[in-house]
Amino acid sequence: MRTRLRPIGVCGAVGVLLVTAVSGAGPRFLADDPVAREPERQSAAGATIRTIDPTVDLVVNLLAHPGDPDSNALAHNVNTIDEVPDSSWFTNRIVARPMTAQEIGRGPGAGTGPAAGTWTVLSPTSPGGAPGFIVRDTGNRQWSLAFDVKGYPEAATGAVAVASRILWAIGYWQEETHIVTVARDRLMLEPSSSITPPSGKARRMRQDDVDQILRQAHRGPDGSYRAVAVMTPPGRAVGTFRYYGTRQDDPNDVVPHEHRRELRALKVFGAWINLIDLDARHTLDTVITEGDRATIRHYLLIGSALGASAGGPVDFDAGWESLYQRPLARRRLLRLGFVFRPWQTVPYEEHPGLGRFEGHVFDPLTWRPRAPTAAFLSARADDTFWAARRVAAFTREMIEAAAAAGRYSSPEARKLLSDILIVRQGRITAAYLPAVNPLVDFALSADGRLAFRNAAVDASVVPAPPGGYQAAWATFDNATGQAVSIGTTTGPQGGAAPAALPATPGTFVRVEISAVGAAPPAWTMPVGAYFRRNASGWSLVGVERIR
Amino acid sequence: VSQPKAQRRAAAILLCAIAAAPVDIAGQDTREGIVAAEQAAKAARIAADAAAAAAAPARPPSTLRRAIDFGAKGMLDEPPGFFPFFESAYSGGGFTLGAGYRRFTGDRTNWAVIGLYSIRNYKRFEASLSSPGHAAGRLDVRGLAGWRDATQVRYNGLGIDSPPGKDVAFRMQQAYAGAELTVKPGRRFVVKTGAILEDFTLKDPMGGLTPLEDVHTAVTAPGLGVSPTYLHFGTSAAIDSRPAADYARRGGLYEISHHRYVDTGGTYGFDRLGARVVQHIPILRETWVISLRGQLQTSVDADDQVPYFLMPALGGGNTLRGYNTFRFRDRHSALASGEFRWIVNRMAFDMALFYDTGMVASRIDQLALRDFVSNVGVGARLHTPASTPLRVEVAWGGEGVHLIFGGSAAF
Repeated sequence: MRTRLRPIGVCGAVGVLLVTAVSGAGPRFLADDPVAREPERQSAAGATIRTIDPTVDLVVNLLAHPGDPDSNALAHNVNTIDEVPDSSWFTNRIVARPMTAQEIGRGPGAGTGPAAGTWTVLSPTSPGGAPGFIVRDTGNRQWSLAFDVKGYPEAATGAVAVASRILWAIGYWQEETHIVTVARDRLMLEPSSSITPPSGKARRMRQDDVDQILRQAHRGPDGSYRAVAVMTPPGRAVGTFRYYGTRQDDPNDVVPHEHRRELRALKVFGAWINLIDLDARHTLDTVITEGDRATIRHYLLIGSALGASAGGPVDFDAGWESLYQRPLARRRLLRLGFVFRPWQTVPYEEHPGLGRFEGHVFDPLTWRPRAPTAAFLSARADDTFWAARRVAAFTREMIEAAAAAGRYSSPEARKLLSDILIVRQGRITAAYLPAVNPLVDFALSADGRLAFRNAAVDASVVPAPPGGYQAAWATFDNATGQAVSIGTTTGPQGGAAPAALPATPGTFVRVEISAVGAAPPAWTMPVGAYFRRNASGWSLVGVERIR
Repeated sequence: VSQPKAQRRAAAILLCAIAAAPVDIAGQDTREGIVAAEQAAKAARIAADAAAAAAAPARPPSTLRRAIDFGAKGMLDEPPGFFPFFESAYSGGGFTLGAGYRRFTGDRTNWAVIGLYSIRNYKRFEASLSSPGHAAGRLDVRGLAGWRDATQVRYNGLGIDSPPGKDVAFRMQQAYAGAELTVKPGRRFVVKTGAILEDFTLKDPMGGLTPLEDVHTAVTAPGLGVSPTYLHFGTSAAIDSRPAADYARRGGLYEISHHRYVDTGGTYGFDRLGARVVQHIPILRETWVISLRGQLQTSVDADDQVPYFLMPALGGGNTLRGYNTFRFRDRHSALASGEFRWIVNRMAFDMALFYDTGMVASRIDQLALRDFVSNVGVGARLHTPASTPLRVEVAWGGEGVHLIFGGSAAF
């Protein structure tokens, strides 16, 4: 059978669905469904550095609502079981496989930070962020060193170290990040060290340039400086990415970014760790060559997170309001500012090492980054459920391990940070897990026993429905999409399959499961689980959470 | 059709043809195959794009793009090359356009030339050499030379009771050259000192206004008829905790200053002391800001001759906003302002209700609150984190309604 897909418009971009047939005439499930890895077969070796003006990006995100106007579209990159395949954007970790607190505390990479000995300063870090340098250690590895600003020891550096580990454990591309202590005499210059002063004319860096940058940094009582060292990602840097559209010079980038679930899900992850800088400036694309294939890997960079930014504590309204919200601005204009919002009175835990961070008044449903991205605005309930499930998977030990990576000198700060993250975790799971029918991990044994889990019940957010679950069974014609009922069962796990359950390899069944009795309203909407019969039994090929 | 155009057209047709072609996923009975076909199609489009780009000549930035880039330079502290310049040629000049050119000769050291021209034909040209950031960022040095022409500066006489005539004016031309030092011994402590040679030429006004000499005498306009040349020494010391001088929601400025004007002709030399206090008080995490200002300028020696055009003055967009520019002049002035600001948008937009009150007097002991004149008003300000590029205000004083357009914070 031939299946053809036409591009949208004459020269328009094409969106690819990994979840459903691209043509109404095609089969619902293909031979390799569900895919575990997004194919990336084309070479992106020709990609060149692409600069996105941060001001333009900010203004467009704030005012223009770019991207697909259909904000209720299913994420295009999820597979048929409603999961995100691994890709150059995302690698499934927590939920997908067992993780340990030690692993999360260690974070990406297996190293222990920049090698001992002197570090060669190659250049200052980009202006506008924390004071810092790009350095090369004696192991010839390149690092970005970012210092805490004066008056706020440990705040910015700790936030980056902690947030990076959490994002990595979730699945985003992050690089090795370590808290280090820098003595002035460890920083050396070489002839190629360069700096671009206000004149715009790059020149060789001098010792007084190093001193001038260090003067902006917080100096410890022993004269040393604390920094967060982030290893420079491998590959050739080719600029940044937007949260909408696709990268024009990346042939593998065929899913509009606003329709990538892992980018939509930053609505939830961002709320958890207060990642307010969701914009192109805090991203990085690098061309990675493995064998004869070059792909573009997409990194998230951390600007402001938790309660701190490069310049100290985040603004009081960070996470509560975007930089521009027209209805709020209009009301403030007309009411002389008498518009009351929680951030005006929220009791922040103003620990000097944590900045402004709290969990008790935090509302994940109203959390906002500085500028909402197209992906943020496109997030649906199934996207936020997917994300909340990952947030819920962090144990207290894992969160404490991530907080410990901030190497706060005060045990109280570390504990306070862990406690706040746990409170925020609870609010996220309570908000997003019950909002859809939260059944997951479907399995059908060869002898017809159905099994699944309830993510909201597992997270102790909502009790299990007292009446159990009802399962509506149907055979499913994969070619036509026609379903024929074979019975309905009820029980704690939906009951055993009806006797009419087919056993012929290659047949499909659909089981639609909904809660019985008192339960959140969304749970009465059935989740569809699709199984394909193999020689050895049934395998899950599809999950339909929202129709 | 010219050859390059034909090439571009052919490339465009090829590009669209490839893009419009069906993505062939024939025989793709796997999801991977479908996606791979999609990616292959995009790879073909990229190749076509590259071919089209190679065939087409490089396009220069559009006029709109260049205009945006040029305008954005006006937001920078010291932009290199050509830049727009948002300042006044002289108070009362009205809507002003300006531009400049800067070239760096060191990391921070630069020379710049600027020119300003206003709707009232006011002009200002200035060349400067700036060298900031010495001594670990604690010392800035600047030399400058320039010329300005204020064609119709209003003059209403001396004192707070001077009548509100509108058609008496003078024209002031000023050539100046000098140097300034700014020293920052501490993070919030700023000392400025400078010496400038200022050569004034006073003439009859433009715009059909009545010349000063037709109405006033040397009694009501001290120094009438003279065009002095001064060596002007100025020194100020301030504690400044504002995040930025041109836009702040917290912090304050506490400044005292002394100016000595040495008349090279020997007659019209004088000393002036100034004091200025600004305090921004944030309320409910900067939901609102109360901004307060107090300012005093006093001519030190009662025997000194202060020419009319250099007397402390009130009125205009930065002082008594409900009155004409330079509406009140005399040897001493006092000014107080209060603003209730509400932050409509933290990134870019404030509103304010304000009240200004002030007085001028020939003797400092005549400055009495009961004689102060005042105005109220409402204003809107577009701002950046550190500057106020546009301020639009309406003020009501005892002499009518005034509309103010400003390119900086009121205080």
